[in-house]
Amino acid sequence: MKSYFNTFIVALTAALCLLASRQATAQQYPENAPTVATKAGPLKPFARTADGKPDMTGTWQAGGVSINGEPGAPPLHPLPPAPIRPPARQRIPYQDWAAEKQKTFTVLDDPTSNCLLPGVPRIVGMPMPLEIVQTPKEVVVLYESFRAWRRIPINEKLQHPNDLTPTWMGDSVGRWDGDTFVVDVTGFNDKTWLSGTGSIHTEQLHVVERYKMISDDTLSYEATVEDPGALTKPWVTGSVLRRPIDVRVEEYECIENNPDNEHIRKAMELEKAKNAKK
Amino acid sequence: MRPKFLSAVAAFGLLLAAVPVWAHHSFAAEYDGKQLITLKGAITKVEWTNPHIYIYVDVKDANGSATNWALEGYPPNTLKRTGFTRDLLKVGEEITITAYKSKDGTYSGAGREVTFPDGSKKFAGPIGQ
Repeated sequence: MKSYFNTFIVALTAALCLLASRQATAQQYPENAPTVATKAGPLKPFARTADGKPDMTGTWQAGGVSINGEPGAPPLHPLPPAPIRPPARQRIPYQDWAAEKQKTFTVLDDPTSNCLLPGVPRIVGMPMPLEIVQTPKEVVVLYESFRAWRRIPINEKLQHPNDLTPTWMGDSVGRWDGDTFVVDVTGFNDKTWLSGTGSIHTEQLHVVERYKMISDDTLSYEATVEDPGALTKPWVTGSVLRRPIDVRVEEYECIENNPDNEHIRKAMELEKAKNAKK
Repeated sequence: MRPKFLSAVAAFGLLLAAVPVWAHHSFAAEYDGKQLITLKGAITKVEWTNPHIYIYVDVKDANGSATNWALEGYPPNTLKRTGFTRDLLKVGEEITITAYKSKDGTYSGAGREVTFPDGSKKFAGPIGQ
């Protein structure tokens, strides 16, 4: 009886693997994402976990010299060309008050210049690696940048705890929508920036992230950002995450030695004095 | 042909714009990306620290009096991943380093390319912006 069962399991696994590899070749590009396909060569299919989900486990990175190389010079560990491009950059659709307030900030006010957590989705695009640890009940992301981490419990109803106090990285819950891992993030404070200088938001910030494996070394990332307190409509951003070669997440203690803001402040004062003379 | 080329350039520009070169602060607010200077001198101190490393170099003028320059570089992990390890910088050894001058008027800059005593070269920091 037992050997029959074993044969059945082997056959089932083989069938699932075949199905998985077929799906991987058939679904080369995300269905819903406005991500642009590029002309890359044949894609290496991504692996699946024992419960049949695309396996995102491993180290990923959105950019930076350690994977892209210096401008004009070949990278140290060349990756095959990415099969997709990130969504086109959009201006953040600010309400009038927020657009006015944005103008009052300088780079000195950037929370990350002060080694504070960048929030979501900003942290995903940082030029440092992150590691995804995927289990059937929870996905954990360990970020090198700012030593951040997120735990994303899997919860079909995307229900957040009811005792949230606003935080820098918010509260994340996730669910699988077919082959896409959808993460709902809420419970943010209003201290992080979304992207460039002064890109503020309110505590009503709500981010929906979509992670989709494209090939073994490419993970499409897209975030829809809503904030009825500061935006006129949702803002879509994203990046293409690649598996960097020979890279692991290591310590980054940002506050260790950070004199940059002092230098910038001084540079700004000199500039102001120069302009006043003119 | 031309529109295709231009759109490729635009796409590349967007890719660059989408990813910050330094994770934690603005380059342009601190350094003059158009003013690349070349400094030669002995290393006096190395701070292999986050978020950025600093290399201190004594640069001598024609009379032999030295000025100590502080040169910022990539984060330690980034450097290590490009093969620029901490042990390549030895106090007392003479290096040549190109740098974008600081806008705050001090003897400091954003280090770009180091030439080591054996003549080999490695990038210490990003291209000027």
